[in-house]
Amino acid sequence: MANDGRRSQLLRGVLDLCLLAVMGEGPAYGYEMTKRLRARGLSIVGEGSIYPLLGRLERDRLVETRREASNGGPPRKYYSLSPDGRQALEAGVEEWKAARDAIDGALDLVKVEVTP
Amino acid sequence: MIEFVEECRREWKHLGVPDPIANEMAADLTADIEEAEAEGGSAEDVLGTSLFDPRRFAAAWAGARGVIAPPVAVDAPAPLLRERNPWYRPAVVLALTGVGFLMTLAAAALVVGRHSSAVAAPVRRIFAVPGPTRFFGPNQPMPPFRYIGPSFTVQNTAPVTVLAFALLLIGLVVLGLAVLYWLPRFRRESKRRLG
Repeated sequence: MANDGRRSQLLRGVLDLCLLAVMGEGPAYGYEMTKRLRARGLSIVGEGSIYPLLGRLERDRLVETRREASNGGPPRKYYSLSPDGRQALEAGVEEWKAARDAIDGALDLVKVEVTP
Repeated sequence: MIEFVEECRREWKHLGVPDPIANEMAADLTADIEEAEAEGGSAEDVLGTSLFDPRRFAAAWAGARGVIAPPVAVDAPAPLLRERNPWYRPAVVLALTGVGFLMTLAAAALVVGRHSSAVAAPVRRIFAVPGPTRFFGPNQPMPPFRYIGPSFTVQNTAPVTVLAFALLLIGLVVLGLAVLYWLPRFRRESKRRLG
């Protein structure tokens, strides 16, 4: 339970970065991004929705939007990285790697006994 | 699922989100949920835990997009100076401490110099009390006998004494309140320094 809570908090802290990353692969609408995240092992089930985050990214001009017809369905709002968003993604990835390395440095000291 | 979207619409209406934007958000949401359900999933795949609190979800989304209308005619009043400036209260207390100290000092000076005309005269003017009684001095009726000796004056020191004690009382009260204000802060600071 505690692990779920920690994972949830970690994900919440970098979900915007993950969204920018999947947008970097190409424009996507809301649910499409959810599917891309899930394909990489990040399920938002158990978390809040991505829509408020997308709204914030849009307001901060980190993404550009356009409405386009999807495959046979209604027009969808496609999100793609803006130049500012690309910069934010690069900076965020650097931050994440630095934080991850520091945390690895601290946690690598811990000897974990793996029981067969 | 329509009920979820309708609940969101009601919340957006309540928050003053413009209709075109609310329609756009509702359409995106509906399309995503329908796609998830068509693929064998559920609305939870799209909304996560937000599925269980549509109003909160709707408010969070609209707030994040910055499309909530500002409240009309309920503008919060500008914060008072004491709310904006953290030094306001200490400055006021410091000023009052200074005033209290000066009042106590003035009271002490009045008590010490109450017999002096330099002290008594201004106080007498303030309190509009009769001047000192001068015996046998200039412009005073001479006694019906020949008096050889210096004239002398009796100062009325009552107003000076009253003023001195009033100042002393007020000054001590102000200083006492200042001590009550500063003492806990000094204790906290001492504890912080001692670790």
